[in-house]
Amino acid sequence: MRAGLGGVMDEELKNLKAELSKHGVFTTTFEELYNWGRKNSVWPLTFGLACCAIEMIATTMARYDLARFGAEVFRASPRQADLIIVSGTVTKKMAPQVVRLYNQMPEPKYVIAMGACAISGGPFRDGYNVLKGIDRYIPVDVHIPGCPPRPEALIDAFMTLQKKIDAQQLTGEDRPRHLKEDLPSEFPVPEYGEHDLEPPNNAEVWNPLKVIQK
Amino acid sequence: MLGIGIIQGLVETARNFFGSYTSKQRLTTVQFPDERLIQPEAARVFPFLVYDTDDWEKGLRCVACKICEVECPPQCISITKSADKKPDYSGIYSGKPQFYPEKFDIDVSVCMSCQICVEVCPFEAIKMDNAFELSTDDRFGGLMWDKQRLAMPNSHYQAIHPTDAAESDAALAEKKAKAEAKPAAAAAAAPAKPAPEKAGAATER
Repeated sequence: MRAGLGGVMDEELKNLKAELSKHGVFTTTFEELYNWGRKNSVWPLTFGLACCAIEMIATTMARYDLARFGAEVFRASPRQADLIIVSGTVTKKMAPQVVRLYNQMPEPKYVIAMGACAISGGPFRDGYNVLKGIDRYIPVDVHIPGCPPRPEALIDAFMTLQKKIDAQQLTGEDRPRHLKEDLPSEFPVPEYGEHDLEPPNNAEVWNPLKVIQK
Repeated sequence: MLGIGIIQGLVETARNFFGSYTSKQRLTTVQFPDERLIQPEAARVFPFLVYDTDDWEKGLRCVACKICEVECPPQCISITKSADKKPDYSGIYSGKPQFYPEKFDIDVSVCMSCQICVEVCPFEAIKMDNAFELSTDDRFGGLMWDKQRLAMPNSHYQAIHPTDAAESDAALAEKKAKAEAKPAAAAAAAPAKPAPEKAGAATER
């Protein structure tokens, strides 16, 4: 019911705005303005893990120039960053630090998992010392497959993230995670256990498909 | 002299800055979504399955021999062989019916683009694509590619890797000519003897 009403309202609002813009009146909604502001100043964290980080560095350089998308400053402090690009293999030794850096970032915060290793562990996923994907501990917004992805692929992922931010609603059930008061902003930092990290994954963010054996 | 390097660097920067107003060469930035760098011919990202004819499902060259599944270093390929055989639509198996992959999945969240599947494939059925705009927010649905997602026509291969595609087509044509010559020669020598089942032996592994 609510969604249906919202849809009609959105349509009417869109028509009204289009009509007004024909007469030279610029109108916007708070939601659009807020999303526009957020999506055009996503500052990433200076944080590289492996070979994908080299591609990430190349993306920020003059040839590809990520600054064109409003991400010109890679902040060296998580307190000033909006986006963490997990670029490379996350070893079990590094995983607690990654989660801690994520926890230290202010909301709204986004995560891009760049490359096979960050998404799933990649070629090292059967190893004893590599985390099988960073989305076991923190919620990932955009995944980029590739080994490593080209700088253009990172720019493409950045544009995907911008589109995702632009589509977010400030109210209603579909509002993003950082606007839901009851959801946590910080996630438990894993500790080194006897055999594996404790806990092995964060049940709040890790919802894999169930494999049904016949 | 102390500081001469700094001055030289600033001069170079200034030359590039002012030169960029007159010379296009000094503008280094590629405006990515609007303009693209030309990829080298050997550029590769993820594999795709080649099909001939217009129907992607019938024309797939893959015969589910599972060599690539075995050889894949990060083990990201998963194949289920069919129970029955399908007719030779692609015309490269000299008309003999072949097994086909009932399921052919590549987990691109694991694939490391090593091209070993392409090198071991005896049927020129799997090749490397160069599309890279693949980012998705769907961890499980968006990164597990089934055979429909993987299927690409041979014309696509010819467009992205012309040299390799010409070699591949020539190899297939040679194989086909050999296969056609053999039964003809056998028929001339001993008309009663049936042609040996060569393709069937190759799929057993």
